[in-house]
Amino acid sequence: MIDKINETRKSFDEDLSKIENLTSLEDLRIKFLGRKGLVSQLFESLKDVPKEDKPKVGQALNQLKIHTQSKFDELKEKLEKGQKSSEEFVDLTLPGRKRVIGSKHILTQTLDEIKDIFRGLGFSVYEGPELESDYYNFEALNFAPDHPARDMQDTFFVTDKFLLRTHTSPVQIRLMKEKKPPLRAIMPGKVFRNEAISAKSYCLFHQVEGLYVDTDVTFAELKGTLVAFVKQFFGQDIKYRFRASFFPFTEPSAEMDIWWEPKGKQGRWMEILGCGMVDPNVLVNVGIDPEKYTGYAFGMGIERTAMRKYGIDDIRILFDNDKRFLTQF
Amino acid sequence: MKISINWLNDYVDLKNVSVSEIVDKLTYAGLEVEEVDDQSKKFENIIIGYVKEVKKHPNADKLSLCKVYDGKDDYSVVCGASNVAAGQKVAFAKVGAVIPNGGMKLEKVKIRGEFSFGMICSERELGLGDNHEGIMVLDPSLKEGVSFADALELNDTILEIAITPNRADALSHIGVARELSALFDLPLKYPDVNFKESGKKSKELASVEIKNSNNCPRYIGKVVSNVDVKESPNWLMKRLKSIGLRPINNVVDVTNYVLHEVGQPLHAFDLDNLGLRRIIVRDAGKDTKFITLDSKERKLQSNDLMICDANKPVAIAGVMGGENSEVTPATKNLLIESAYFNSSSIRRTSKNLGLSTDASYRFERGTDHEITKWAARRAAQLIQATTSSGIIAKGEIDAYPKRITKKKVSLRYSRIEKILGYKINNSTVKKILAKLGFEIKSTTKEKLTVMLPTYRHDIEREIDLIEEVARIYGYNKIPEVSKISVTLEEKVDHSAFNDNVREFLNSLGFYEIITNSLLSEDIVSRFGSAINLINPQSNEMSHLRTSLIPGLLTSISNNIKVNEKDLQLFEVGKIFEKVVTTKINDFKDFKESEHLLLALTGNRIRTEWFEKDSPFDVYDLTGFVESFMAKILAGNTINLKSKEESESKFDYAFNINCENQIIGSGGKLKKEYCTLFDIDQDVYMIQIDLSVLKKINVSKKIFNELLKFPKVYRDVAFVLDVDVTSDQVIHIIKEATTNLLHNIKLFDIFQSESLGKGKKSLAFQLEFFNSNRTLTEEEVEKDFRNAIKAVEKIFNAQLRGS
Repeated sequence: MIDKINETRKSFDEDLSKIENLTSLEDLRIKFLGRKGLVSQLFESLKDVPKEDKPKVGQALNQLKIHTQSKFDELKEKLEKGQKSSEEFVDLTLPGRKRVIGSKHILTQTLDEIKDIFRGLGFSVYEGPELESDYYNFEALNFAPDHPARDMQDTFFVTDKFLLRTHTSPVQIRLMKEKKPPLRAIMPGKVFRNEAISAKSYCLFHQVEGLYVDTDVTFAELKGTLVAFVKQFFGQDIKYRFRASFFPFTEPSAEMDIWWEPKGKQGRWMEILGCGMVDPNVLVNVGIDPEKYTGYAFGMGIERTAMRKYGIDDIRILFDNDKRFLTQF
Repeated sequence: MKISINWLNDYVDLKNVSVSEIVDKLTYAGLEVEEVDDQSKKFENIIIGYVKEVKKHPNADKLSLCKVYDGKDDYSVVCGASNVAAGQKVAFAKVGAVIPNGGMKLEKVKIRGEFSFGMICSERELGLGDNHEGIMVLDPSLKEGVSFADALELNDTILEIAITPNRADALSHIGVARELSALFDLPLKYPDVNFKESGKKSKELASVEIKNSNNCPRYIGKVVSNVDVKESPNWLMKRLKSIGLRPINNVVDVTNYVLHEVGQPLHAFDLDNLGLRRIIVRDAGKDTKFITLDSKERKLQSNDLMICDANKPVAIAGVMGGENSEVTPATKNLLIESAYFNSSSIRRTSKNLGLSTDASYRFERGTDHEITKWAARRAAQLIQATTSSGIIAKGEIDAYPKRITKKKVSLRYSRIEKILGYKINNSTVKKILAKLGFEIKSTTKEKLTVMLPTYRHDIEREIDLIEEVARIYGYNKIPEVSKISVTLEEKVDHSAFNDNVREFLNSLGFYEIITNSLLSEDIVSRFGSAINLINPQSNEMSHLRTSLIPGLLTSISNNIKVNEKDLQLFEVGKIFEKVVTTKINDFKDFKESEHLLLALTGNRIRTEWFEKDSPFDVYDLTGFVESFMAKILAGNTINLKSKEESESKFDYAFNINCENQIIGSGGKLKKEYCTLFDIDQDVYMIQIDLSVLKKINVSKKIFNELLKFPKVYRDVAFVLDVDVTSDQVIHIIKEATTNLLHNIKLFDIFQSESLGKGKKSLAFQLEFFNSNRTLTEEEVEKDFRNAIKAVEKIFNAQLRGS
């Protein structure tokens, strides 16, 4: 019996030494370690061994079992490792399976940034129609009929009383008619001007209007708020100035310029927004007492702001929707 | 508007103020200086030269070799002009100068073997006139070496100023000087118009009658006799040229000069051509045609204000004079008109005629009725000075039927602080207003009252005075607040929904586009009842879009042209439709709605190492709709219903339904639409009415307990007729089972001859669970068998693999 055990051990070692892959190792396992394998058979025949020899033979059998099992495990682990390294070779230089994330139009992104800043300052966001009446777009905003101020905004008319809004200011009127002060809101949207399409102008563009009406709104607060905005938007070091201007719906009126120095070009002042204190006539038109309430308003062009920020010098590219442009932002 | 700084110096002494200070102050005060043209720069390196000697060029017949002295050195210069002679003072452009006309930069050159160190210039080369017959020979008293610009007083600086429509008062040199006098606290001086009048009385030589005093409140006429119409003196021509005007003759030039001096438009009539030497100001009435002095026939409206003589119109009031009474070289006697017209009336006429002149531009913004007499006298004075023999008639005809009363306005000091948030010293307030021409009538501790100057039509109220004080004081001196209070009213965000739409679509790989809302009639009318513009720029942009489809297709088409063929694009925007057949009179007559359009075209994947070309198909489209809607409607389910294709723009057309409402539609765009935009690849689209989608009640999110008991899955495959839809089978399975069945997932579709002709196999995975307990084998098995039986029965299906 002992000889048999030794023989089996020898033949196992021999077979094992020839094994090169997991398949033949599995065959080996079945041959020796399987339910009906050689080792099991030897254990079976232990019952025929004389009683006095049993401890000795049993010990030898156990050693065989430990030996074969541990050798098998060892080789299996070795083979598995080896297999992993060859089967799972990864070429990280291959392009991965990409998923595309789209993006908002650069004008929407710019507007988002502007909205974020003003929402943080307690402003709501209101919207209004693009096809407006003369009343909301001009009359209620203190543009007298027949006044040359109307020439400031080349208008597309649908009828003599309806038009494509030339600015987002009519939303001010709608808001003030709908709600009572305090009112603090920005009003973004599309506006239209009857201007020839060129690198500098397009027949439509986007604006954000701002309005704050309450009992103690001042020009100093308007300045402070807008300065906080331009610093946050363009950077804390931005140089700016306010100069007097004219809009029928604000008095006093101002324009805000920032110092603009494109790379390699001479710096200059560039207008970025118009603003002022809401004209008392406008407040009267919407039923707010101008003695009790004051307000400020401002408006800025989004295209202009985005072009400045991203160094775009032709407005038309914004509306070409070329994928090579869209995917840059 | 062009303003000459030299000219300004006649009214306010700016000798001690730099140009950049002037530019800054004016700009800050609201008179935005857009350009600064330093004239002397043009003449850099051009000096007065003295021609010492002139010799013939040894190698060229028509050239001379000159020696030019600049006060220090002699320069050898080759000159081609025949009039060059020793002893002349000339404009000598040295090496380095840029010739004003043409921009040539001078270098040392060899001409026919002789060096030339510069150039002797002609009038034309200097940009000072048309004369190029020879060199410009200068006054011999000029000193050699002095800069040419200084010697000829060409050292002016011309400002281009943008005047806002409210500031008619600033549309002249005196107007700008008045601003500067307030800004720099300097005195303003008007030219003195007291002079000797030797002729008869103007009243005896002509008469004026105003028939429409609303539109012509005041008309001054002044007669100057015995004039000789000729070229203006140099100083006058130079001033007009400096601001870009072309000199014509002394009479016309003077009227232009006074307009640009004080802002009052004038007109000079040939008095001898005025019927009965009479002026009648009236409406055009029956006169329908008139020839203006530019020889063009103008069509009049009956209420256009006309200046007429006893018989006929002689000028369109405030806009342009007529050919029939124009000043000509033969004119001897003049009637100078200096009138005040109603601004609206002039604007209406100017608009109707499509004719805007320096005069109408000022009248429609509002002129000063009080300056009319001064302006007429100023013109007479200057005309006399430019002729040898002019005789100024005594006094003026002043037709002024209804006196215009001057207005007073009070200003509370406290109100300045309330508006500005900053206190400006009371005495500073007074000083600023006085400098701007507001006459202070009374002052108290609380307020002051001023008389408004008649040239400031923009000032009517207290708030207007506050602006005047603030802008002259300087906006930049008003400090910015460093903190604000946040009011706690309800915060609203109209844009939040659309922002979510955009973000969800971005995460699905879509790029946002923005397209033109103005399109051609041909395009928009294919998609709805379009609204047209009454003043379009072109036929391509004459109508409001009725759909987002054309804009998006244009973008796709343009992208394909640059070889960008795989596109996932969307636009959020307004579309417009007329709902009446008549003219739009009310907001009810049209519909403005916000839409979302998204499109897929080209390939989902362009061949990669792991996959072959894989074009988008309709299931990508429906997949995107489902993913997008699941997110935006959080909880509400949608379903896609096939739609009659013949009525639709799409093949495989479907509607997107939610809560029994159609919120959108989609499919593969029909070929004809693609062809229209030169697109030869499939385009899949979905359009959604965001105004409807927004209104769908999205149930509040409430946490669902996570399942504590195991799910049981059963797979089954049926062989069915090809035209049975997956949805039909799912519906029957649901009907045949209990509420233990929670999900049915189609996981395989197989079609092959082996299944039989017209057959296909659909395989489903059924998911069973109960959130309160573990399921028993029997109950699942019962439901599963019922499902199979029902499908077999209803669709005559066969269980696959049995």
